[in-house]
Parts: sequence; C-alpha cells; structure tokens
Amino acid sequence: MAGRDEIFEAYADWRERCNANERLRRMLRGWDRVVHLVARDTGDRFTVVVREQTLAELVEGTDAVADLVVTAASEDFADLFWGDLNPSEKYMSGQITLAGSQDDVMRLDAMSMVAFLDQ
Amino acid sequence: MDDGHECEVLVIGAGYAGLSAARELARAGVDVRVVEARDRVGGRVWTTATSSGALVDHGGQWIGPGQSLLQKVADEYGAETFPTFTTGEGVEWRAGTRATYAGLVPTSDPAAAADGVEAIFELDLAAREVPLEAPWDAPDAKGLDAQTLGSWLAASVGAAGARALITSAVKSIFGAEPGELSLLFTLFYLHSGGGLMNLARTTNGAQERRFVDGAQRCALRMAAELGDRVALSSPVVALSHGPDGVLATVERRERGEEPHRLAVRARRAVVAMPPALSVRLSWSPPLPGLRDQLATRAPMGSVTKVHAVYDRPFWRDDGLNGQVVSDEGALRVTFDDSPPDASHGILVGFIAGEECRTLDGAGPEERAARAVADLVRYFGPRAASPVEVVQQHWPAEPYTRGGPVAVFSPGLLTGFGPALRAPVGPVHWAGTETATEWCGYIDGALSSGVRAAAEVVASLGG
Repeated sequence: MAGRDEIFEAYADWRERCNANERLRRMLRGWDRVVHLVARDTGDRFTVVVREQTLAELVEGTDAVADLVVTAASEDFADLFWGDLNPSEKYMSGQITLAGSQDDVMRLDAMSMVAFLDQ
Repeated sequence: MDDGHECEVLVIGAGYAGLSAARELARAGVDVRVVEARDRVGGRVWTTATSSGALVDHGGQWIGPGQSLLQKVADEYGAETFPTFTTGEGVEWRAGTRATYAGLVPTSDPAAAADGVEAIFELDLAAREVPLEAPWDAPDAKGLDAQTLGSWLAASVGAAGARALITSAVKSIFGAEPGELSLLFTLFYLHSGGGLMNLARTTNGAQERRFVDGAQRCALRMAAELGDRVALSSPVVALSHGPDGVLATVERRERGEEPHRLAVRARRAVVAMPPALSVRLSWSPPLPGLRDQLATRAPMGSVTKVHAVYDRPFWRDDGLNGQVVSDEGALRVTFDDSPPDASHGILVGFIAGEECRTLDGAGPEERAARAVADLVRYFGPRAASPVEVVQQHWPAEPYTRGGPVAVFSPGLLTGFGPALRAPVGPVHWAGTETATEWCGYIDGALSSGVRAAAEVVASLGG
C-alpha cells in the first residue's frame, strides 16, 4: 500500500521525466485532458491535468470533470510513477482499468507505455 | 430448396455475413434462401474437435470490446465466452535471441520498443482521420493510397526493432507483408477495429475472449434458425442478372449423387463472399468494369493457422502466457488457445504472409515440423512432443482461397472504393470486406449482412 505522500513524491519524479521527454511531448500534442486517478485500496483520489503537451502537478481530490479515470492499487500507482512498473502489464491483467473514450484510452495507454520504456 | 426454385432473395454464401443477411430478411418476413458451396456454414469461421477431443477454431475465433453485434448474437444464442489466458510473460525472439517480457510489447530493446509504440500511436492517430463510410474522402486520400504500410515504415520508423515489431503484428492481422498493404486501406482497417493497439491486444482488445463452444457455434445457431432455407454443398457457378432479378445456376453436390445443376430465380441476390471469390462466378451480363477490377485488386491474405495440442499447458508452469513475438521462423505470433478448463494445452499460431507462401508447396507434415521447431525455440524442449498438430492452410481452401481478409492494394480504395458496396442491379454485396466497423472480423461480417438486408428490403419496398 502506498500513501498519499509517496504517490505525490513518485508522481513529481515521473512528471519531471515525462515533461523532459521529447517523444512524450510529441505524443501529447493536441491532447488537453483531465485525468482522475483512483486508488482502489486506499480510496485516495487525485487529478492530473494535461495541458499544452505538459503534465501539471498532481492535485488531491477529483473535483474537476474527468475525461479519463484510471483505477489501480495505490502501490501500482507509486511503482508506475517511480518507473518500476510497466503499466501495460497491469492493464493487460486487468489490474489497471481505464475508463474514457476509446481515443483517450488509446492515448493514455500509449503514452504511459512510452514513459516506461523511454526512461 | 425443396419447395421450388424461386424465392424473393437469394443469399450466396453462408458465412457470418450471409447468415446475418438471411436472418434479418427472414425476420422481416422476406422469402429468403441461402446457398452455400461448402458442406458447412461459417465461412472463415470453422470449429472442429481434434482427435484428442479439444475444440479448435481454424479461422476467426476471438471476441473483444466494441464488437457489440457479435456480442448481441452470442447473447441471443447463449454462446458463452471466456477470457484468453494472459497470465505471465510473453516470449520475444529477436535477432536469434530469446527473452521474456511483460505487457503488450517486447522490452528487450526498450528504445526500439518505445519507437514501436510511438509508431503504432501515430498510425492509430492517422487512422482516426479516415472516414469509415468513405475512406477515399480522407485528407490526402490519394497520397496515402499511393503508399504502402511498408514504405511508410521505411520512411517514418528509424529503429529496425520497431519496424520488426509492427511487421510481425501486421502479418498476423492481415496475412500480408506491410509492402502489400495500401497505407490508406491499413489506416481504414485500423480505424474500423479501434486501432492497431486494440487489434494487437488480448485483454482490452480484439483477442480478449473466446467462445467456450467455438466461434462457429453462433453460425450454426443462425443456420438452425433459418432451417431448410439454407442449402449446403450448393455452389453457385453462374449468375445472370437483370431488371427482373437474378437467375443463379447452382451445382448441387448431394452425398452419393452425381452433381446436378438447378436454377434458382430470385428478385434480389446478396453475394456474401470475399470480392476475389465473387468474380469467380460466371456473370451475365459481365460485372461493371469498376466492380470487377476492384475484386482483382483485392486478393486474399496468405495465412495458415496452426494448433499444437499438448497434454497440458506446460508453458504456464514457466510463468509464460503463450504469446510470442518473433522476427524469425514460420510461426512468429502465437497465443495460448487452451480450453477453459486447461484439460489440454493448446498453442495457436499463424504462418502468415511470406512464410505462408514459401511453405505453400510444402505438405502438412513439413509445415507442422517447422511450426513445432519454432515452438521449441520459444517454449523449450517440452514443445517438441505435441499430441497432435492441426492446421488450416487457407489459401488452399477452394471457397476462401486465403485469409483472414482481403488485402487492398494501393490505389484500390481511391480508384474503385465506391464499387465495394454499390449494388449492381438486383445484386447486393455483403461480407466483412464491405463492413465499415470491424472490417475483417466476425462482427464486420454480421454488420455487413444487416446492411445488405436493409438495402434489399428498401429496394423491394413498394
């Protein structure tokens, strides 16, 4: 189980790497979205905003209306953001679920896979 | 066909497309008959029991999210599904080296894998710009249709490993090399099936679930609903058409009897076969030039589907999920195809594109030996002793001549595309190649039948 603080810390690290990655910035073109993260075990909720090819800081809570909702175990969020977990593996086994339009799901799927591979 | 040789609508072909059209028409109270060349229904979907008792699907077999029409038909007939086995790691064979990987793409070369995922992403984004009803209206349609997927890969994807990854996926999906596929057609096809990522996936994708009783079951149930409206072993050899309708010459081959010809008259016909097969009928008058030339530019893909049956799914003991991505050998993509209770272990793989053609002259024994040798490379020595190997070499099937789907050459969609669905007098077209959603899949076959039936009903309407 990963607490709020760890997820904040891991996300900050991931965000920095993503925003510095040219390939990821290319892939985020034209994709301004609000993404909710829901930790299945702890019930913690967070919001990630993608705007102008850049990931914003993590925000606690899920107040804004989301385009996409990602549900996973808190530990998986932390491991994913630390770069230790291939999100594709957990998505394939159904332990990470994505809810949103097919287009948004495809984009998040691809960008998170690249963020893992290209670090 | 026993109650006379006249009907309102004659459906030619009892694959999922033809059965779907006939079922819609019958439910609308239309007097419909179906003639099927083979001694079975299902077309490119065919389930048999192996000698060890396991069911194998020799053709289309999976169902995934978004295939709502197939799901609806399955629900209607109580056809149960179960998830494709995906627990564990896949096997990657690249440049002579074996590795295992978790997730969707092999990761032994992360930079190449990232290139590959970005390339898939770019294809999937471009695919969304191609209108499903009229791909020839896509932005720069002619430019896209003048390229192949192969030329795009060569120009746009730097890493050889990334090109190899996409190539192995594409070969299994289309039964063709990237250089055979029009880029516009590829993008249309990807859009039609929710994207390459979606088509490559098991969970959350096109290979997510399988049918407990095999994928042919729903076709058998549809045929049962149609009852004696369906005539098997009845290939149509000639079709005349005119303002009053069609006259089909059917060559019946009843067991133990000499083939005999009979004529079937109908006000409308639905031709539910792949374009390349449709032009093998003798048409009178000849088909319009555009339609005939379209068909000759859309040959069937080259694929042999191979099932290796083992006592048990031994690869699961090694933490493997049965999936392979390889750049070498006859079998380059495999899946775990074991029954839900794992009473047997079955690996299914595709000999696709170039390898299928290279081995076309080889007998089944040589093909099986090649496939088993590949499986040993991927899964170790226990793969060497299957209980049996069953294979379906689709190019040799007289009433399909390849698979899984027609391969649209460059220039086809922009030069001939509208002729794909345009009725020719009383003749309407069905078949998964004419579908706008899930083109090439069972779901697309079903929707093409629904669309053709609606056209026919509207045209008979007054």
